[in-house]
Amino acid sequence: MTTETPVVRLDGVRKEYGDTVALDGVTLEIRAGEAVAVMGPSGCGKSTLLNMIAGLDKPTAGEITVHGERLDTMNETKLSLFRRHHLGMIFQFFNLLDDLSALDNVALAAQLTGSSAGTARRRALELFDELGIATRRNVYPAALSGGERQRVAVARALMNRPALLLADEPTGALDSKAGEQVMDLLLDLNQIGQTLLIVTHDERLAHRCASRLVELADGQVARESALDRV
Amino acid sequence: MSAVWTASRAAVRRRRVQTFVIFLVVLVCTATALISVALLDAARSPFQRAFDGQNGAHSVVTYDPAKVTDERLTAATTGVEASAGPFGQVIVEPQNDVGPVFSQPLTVVGRADPGGAVDRVDLWHGRWPSAAGEIVLNEPPQPDEDLSMGPLAGVTELVTNGKTLRIVGFAFTVSGSADGWVTPAQVAALHPTGTQMLYRFTGDVSTHDALAARVSGVTTGLPGDALLAAQPYLVTKEEAAAGPGVYLPFLGTFGILGLLVAVIIVGNVVSGAVVSGFRHIGVLKALGFTPRQVVAVYLTMVSVPAVAGAILGTGLGWAAVRPMLTETFRGLGFGQDAAVQPWVITVVLLGVPSLVLIAALLPALRAHRLSAAQAISAGSAPRRGRGLRVQRALSGSRLPRAVSLGLGLPFARPARTALTMASLLLGVVTVTFALGLSDSVIRISEVGEIAAGDIGVRPMRGDEQPASQRSDTEIEQMLRALPGTSQVGVGVARDLSVAGQSEPLMINFVRGDTAAMGYEQQLYEGHWMTAPDQLVLPTQLLNERGLEIGEKVTVSLQGAWTTFTIVGETVRGLPGPEGAFATWRDFPDLDPAAFFYQVQTVEGTDLGAFTQSIRAADPGLDAWDNTGGDSFSTVVTGFAAVLALLLATVAALGVLNTVALNVTERRRDLGMLKSIGMTPRQVVSMVVTSMAALGVIAGLLGIPLGLAAHRLVVPLSADAAKIRLPEYVMQVWDPATLALLAFSGVVIAVAGALIPARAAARLTIARVLHNE
Ligand SMILES: Nc1ncnc2c1ncn2[C@@H]1O[C@H](COP(=O)(O)OP(=O)(O)O)[C@@H](O)[C@H]1O
Ligand SMILES: [Mg+2]
Repeated sequence: MTTETPVVRLDGVRKEYGDTVALDGVTLEIRAGEAVAVMGPSGCGKSTLLNMIAGLDKPTAGEITVHGERLDTMNETKLSLFRRHHLGMIFQFFNLLDDLSALDNVALAAQLTGSSAGTARRRALELFDELGIATRRNVYPAALSGGERQRVAVARALMNRPALLLADEPTGALDSKAGEQVMDLLLDLNQIGQTLLIVTHDERLAHRCASRLVELADGQVARESALDRV
Repeated sequence: MSAVWTASRAAVRRRRVQTFVIFLVVLVCTATALISVALLDAARSPFQRAFDGQNGAHSVVTYDPAKVTDERLTAATTGVEASAGPFGQVIVEPQNDVGPVFSQPLTVVGRADPGGAVDRVDLWHGRWPSAAGEIVLNEPPQPDEDLSMGPLAGVTELVTNGKTLRIVGFAFTVSGSADGWVTPAQVAALHPTGTQMLYRFTGDVSTHDALAARVSGVTTGLPGDALLAAQPYLVTKEEAAAGPGVYLPFLGTFGILGLLVAVIIVGNVVSGAVVSGFRHIGVLKALGFTPRQVVAVYLTMVSVPAVAGAILGTGLGWAAVRPMLTETFRGLGFGQDAAVQPWVITVVLLGVPSLVLIAALLPALRAHRLSAAQAISAGSAPRRGRGLRVQRALSGSRLPRAVSLGLGLPFARPARTALTMASLLLGVVTVTFALGLSDSVIRISEVGEIAAGDIGVRPMRGDEQPASQRSDTEIEQMLRALPGTSQVGVGVARDLSVAGQSEPLMINFVRGDTAAMGYEQQLYEGHWMTAPDQLVLPTQLLNERGLEIGEKVTVSLQGAWTTFTIVGETVRGLPGPEGAFATWRDFPDLDPAAFFYQVQTVEGTDLGAFTQSIRAADPGLDAWDNTGGDSFSTVVTGFAAVLALLLATVAALGVLNTVALNVTERRRDLGMLKSIGMTPRQVVSMVVTSMAALGVIAGLLGIPLGLAAHRLVVPLSADAAKIRLPEYVMQVWDPATLALLAFSGVVIAVAGALIPARAAARLTIARVLHNE
């Protein structure tokens, strides 16, 4: 694993929502193969940070470079194209498309990068097998359990073999057993080389999956530390 | 593109309520729009359409055959685009009873066929004369059953100068070139006194002066005194403009209204679909859909049901409007084919889907500008600060809990509630306005007719048999005693010399219920006669004589000069030549046959049977049905009813859409309420209450707005049609109607809310809570 160019580099990133300062000069690097956990009290700017890195929102000031490209200067269309090729995202509340079956939710991501519907489904099925949800492939999200939904969301995020996988409170809406399964999944992924950024306030998740911990407070990086995975 | 298609196809298939509501709203709105545009098109210029359809004559010119030969007429073509003729022409006086329309000097023309370059006469019944002794009469087209019931029923021949002409058909000329047509040989045998030429000119024909110039152009080089008369088409056009055609602008307002409501509601429903999809949009963006692709997903999602709805709606509207237009034009007496113009169909078929696209595009573009992060969070929960405060206030009230919760619901989504309110308001305004307008238009179209009574009666004339043995008072008493009679007016018409004028003035001396039958109600200005020396004149007569209210008229009456004062102006006089009204006087020396009677029957009386009962009571009396021309009011009522119904349906669909969206969004609240013990019935009443409250407000606001629109639009249309309105035309409202209308808002709201409310009540708690 080369570690020369970082996958993510933030330099003095600031984000304001009206009077609220959500991020106040964040500088941060994530190298390929790392698993970074971002922690901090509710409202300290964790989701905002993740959204900046995903290009879902633009910083008020500062530079954001992901996979060698400057996101803060890109237009919306470029950002979309960048996202579909290089990023995978997992949310607390899954954000699956209710109109599509579990399999089609996942296949859709590959269709976006130009795969035919058939190819996309085959690749999705492989992922379903690996994640142990193959039997649930034709079910619509409304009928899936929380853990199943999150595994579908992980499959969707992995579809295009992203350079970076972003997860915002991936276990926040799950019971402890389902949470464990998702944690195992993330750990496995990192161990085969997937770069990870996990926002959480679950200590166990951070210590189990992450190699490094970034603590945020009031929109600033309060502390960075290396972690020994348990 | 395939990712876009996958996402939009799934949305169309899985969001059944939304897809269905868009489909239905677009369907109904397209039908409404088609009816509306077809109506506006038809209302534009019915005369011109009919005139163009027949290649009408710009001028119908009569020459003196003694002064100019047919050859010279044929050769005179200066400024002529097309011509027909020369045709022999003669004036004949019918000597047998040919009904009221033809009992006057008739212009009869000898024409070999009804076609030709100019004045293509519409032969709508029977055949063209092919032999001597045959005639076709000029009469606007009408259905066979009307023909057999009308004044021409039983008229089979026309006797003049000892010759009998058999009526072999009826034809209609928009140019008004003749009252009847015979073969050229037959007209020669009748000794023609004129030669008819029918011209279409090149150049300006828009004014009387211009037409006069055209005619003098064509007659240059002909003997100076050869021209007997030239009848410009503008005369007929102006007459048409004063006929039932004047009501078309009123119908046109339905059209504009329909279009307006269709546009607003389509916009509401479609943009509602997009706005409710904000979270969905955020997810698509997070996955890597470009802004353009997101917009494409949303446009495709609404286009599929919209296009289907537009196509079906066009068919539906077309099927509905055809018979209506046919009836309208029949009522106008132009008898043209009232097909829906292809451009109308094209415009509607392309216009409505474009409208849907624009309606979807605006919010989709707004979503496009939202960052993905905002879009995702926008869908999660409505802001509820205001809602909460209202909820708290309501829960302190004594209302049942379900009702107070329901009343609070609209405050959670103020923008959506406002749009729904607008739909409901439009629904109520439309229903109110349509009702008032149709009532007014019917009153306008029946001006003069209602007042004339249902049945006209007069004794047979002296030479007819049998003669009535009753005096005028006895006849009046007999008529009043008949079952079914509600009012009887008696009149006698006298042509009286006027001091200082050569032309006599006809005065109808009336007694009985004449004023109450409607003439008084239809006064434009002034008042009905209150003294024997007062007169009320119809507008046309006032204008012809240059008279005004307040002026005095001195006439020779029973051998003495008598002065009357004009005290009122009314829309129309009694049927027949226009005359003034005065109160009754005794004319002891008059033939009883000079009196006439007008009978108004009780609502619902069979007029045919009633007429027969008069004849049976006194075989010396002639009685006829005065009603007719009813088809126009049928058309107006029909249009009003169809459009009001369509628009009310659309408004209800708007409510359905809102409630469906609200229920989907607030599934969790509903599940929570059920989990703490709210019964399905309470859920229904809560959801329905939320909309019924809006319905009540819509009813209360919509009625004054509808009344105001009526007050504003009817006189405006009247101005456009260049007619005056007697005040009673506007007084169409009564408290019962208004109360019913106030209810219409609630009815529309509840009708729209019921289905999704029941769906909400059926949601199982476990599923709802599981999904969040
Ligand atoms: N779209 C937004 N508009 C306004 N304020 C926002 C928005 N997103 C986040 N914030 C504010 O920014 C701050 C950081 O929020 P967030 O990053 O979501 O915190 P968390 O660490 O809990 O994920 C909070 O004060 C929040 O209210
Ligand atoms: Mg957060």
